[in-house]
Order: sequence, then structure tokens, then C-alpha cells
Amino acid sequence: MSLVNFTTREITCKIVYYGPGRSGKTTNLHYIYGRVPESRRGRMVSLATQTDRTLFFDFLPLDLGVISGFTTRFQLYTVPGQVYYNATRKLVLQGTDGVVFVADSQARRQDDNLESLQNLQQNLLQQGADVRQFPVVLQYNKQDLPRDLILTTEELDDTLNFRDLKSFPADAIRGTGVFETLRSVSELVLKRLAAGGTVG
Amino acid sequence: MRTIEGWVEAPLRTFVDDASPELTLLMTSAGQVIAQHGFARALDVMSAAALGAGIMASSQEIAVLMGWPEFRVLVHQGSARSHFLAQITLPTTRWVGLVVFGADTKLGVVQYFFDRLVEQLATAAPQVTERREVLAADFEHELNASLRSLFGR
Repeated sequence: MSLVNFTTREITCKIVYYGPGRSGKTTNLHYIYGRVPESRRGRMVSLATQTDRTLFFDFLPLDLGVISGFTTRFQLYTVPGQVYYNATRKLVLQGTDGVVFVADSQARRQDDNLESLQNLQQNLLQQGADVRQFPVVLQYNKQDLPRDLILTTEELDDTLNFRDLKSFPADAIRGTGVFETLRSVSELVLKRLAAGGTVG
Repeated sequence: MRTIEGWVEAPLRTFVDDASPELTLLMTSAGQVIAQHGFARALDVMSAAALGAGIMASSQEIAVLMGWPEFRVLVHQGSARSHFLAQITLPTTRWVGLVVFGADTKLGVVQYFFDRLVEQLATAAPQVTERREVLAADFEHELNASLRSLFGR
């Protein structure tokens, strides 16, 4: 849940990058970390295995600047994608304000995408979130791979985007679509905060 | 010292005066910062809160798996500094406290005054949360400008 400090006029929101293993969640954060001025970001924390697979989470705090008179900060997290890390995914998902679902565009990974999306839905439901209203955007990563290996954004929409969410083609290594995805989820999260109109 | 909620400040100040910690951080169980003392950079506080909440949450899950009672307190002893993590149960919510302390104090002192901090917070906590307006409806152009400047576009 977003935290709002009315005395110092600060807002802090939590966004989680979710998706199957090796879909590019950590790569999104690395790209953002590399592009954002040091004064606007904190240290990127990665709790990873020796082979650089996410073990618990990656964490990147960002200072978005002043919005509607509030200094606005976003905390970006990733979850470990492998199926057997569901317990840690649930922990990272606690209190999240928005989710970026990073799908792997490769045709052979489509079952993994679906399984992870279903897992996200289950975990949000367990936390009492209304999944129809919850801010989620989809990112179809690895669209730079050869055409014969990947699905088009239309094909991915057909199978993954049954809620008609905003979706973005991406190549997270080179940064294509990374900014657009972050902009979109930020907007959804803040719109929800504004539409709620009030916060404790 | 910085706090999100004004009513937290007095109990936290008393704790800092009595227990002499180097750093103190109060956070939600999801890792959002409620109050801090001793940190120099806002963004570093967020990292510490994310990690502290992660330690507490994963330890709680281990306790659940084993069928043990929840861990209320976790202590990591270092050679020069140690850290103390503990649950804070309030009437309407649950927070986590992270205290880093050095040779100026002792674990027992931190534990004793932390328990008093929890009591004082529970007494001071409002029973009903006041609700106020947050963002103007036309914030989007400011968000877009902020993100463009963030990414150098």
C-alpha cells in the first residue's frame, strides 16, 4: 500500500516485476539503474545465487521528483521466477501497489508465461487484492530475437492479455520498452491513488 | 529523525535517547519506511527497510513451516555492530523495527527499551485513521515530465 507523508509531502509506492524465470525482470531493473542519474536512485540490491539467478529479490529505489506537490518515490522489486520459489514471491508481493508482468516472447516459453501469470493471480487473490482493479501492465520481452523463435505481440495478447491490460513489446537489454512500461505502471498506480482520493 | 506519522516521533525519540542505537528504522511488514533515525540518505533507508522486512518475513515463514511460534525478535551479532529486528504489534497493524547498535549500548538495553517503545506506540497509535486527499486529478503531465527527466529523454 502506498505510504503518504502529509507533513513532508512524500509518497512512496511499491512496484513488483513478476514473470517466469529468465524472462528479463532483473534486466529491466539493471537498465533503469544504468540510465537514471545517481542522485535520483539508491543502490540496487540483488539477493541472487552464485549464478546470478534471483534468490529472494532485486530492489531499486527511485526518486521520481515532485508530482502534485508530493515528492514521489517508487520502490522497484523483482521476484524469483522459478516455480519452486513461490514462498518468496508471496513475501515480495506483500503490500505491492502495482505489478509489471514480464513475459518471455519465445514461443517455447509460452506455458511458463501462463503458469506464472496464473501464479500471480493466485498470490494477489490470497492477499485480498481485487485482481480486476489491481494495476498490472504486461511487457513482452525479447522481441529482438529472430521472428521464427518468438510470438508477435498480437499472439501474446491473445493468450496472456485476457483482461485487456496495457502491453508493451520490449528488448530489456537495449532498453526498448523499459521506460514505456515503467511510465505506464507508474501512471496506473498514481491514478489509483488519486481516484481513491484519500489515504490514511 | 524523520517520521511518516507525527505520533511516532515522541516514543521513537525517547527510545533513541534511552537505548543509544546508531540507527533505528520502523517499517511496515512490506518494507515501507515509517520512521528513521541515523540514516543520511532517504534512498539508503529504503534499501535497509526492504532487506529488514525481507529477513523478518522469511524467518516468519520458516517458523510457520516448522510449526513453531512466530519469531518476535531476531538478533544478528557482529564484531563491531549488531542488529536487532523485532515485530511491533499495534492495534490496527503490524510493523517491523530494525535497530543497529555498537559498543555504546548492550543487547539487553536495546531489548528493554524497544519493548517500552512498542508499548508507547500502541498507546499513541490512533484508533481510526484520518483520511485526506492525495493527488490532483491532472498529475499525469508532471509524472511524464519527471520520468522523462529520469531517463534523460
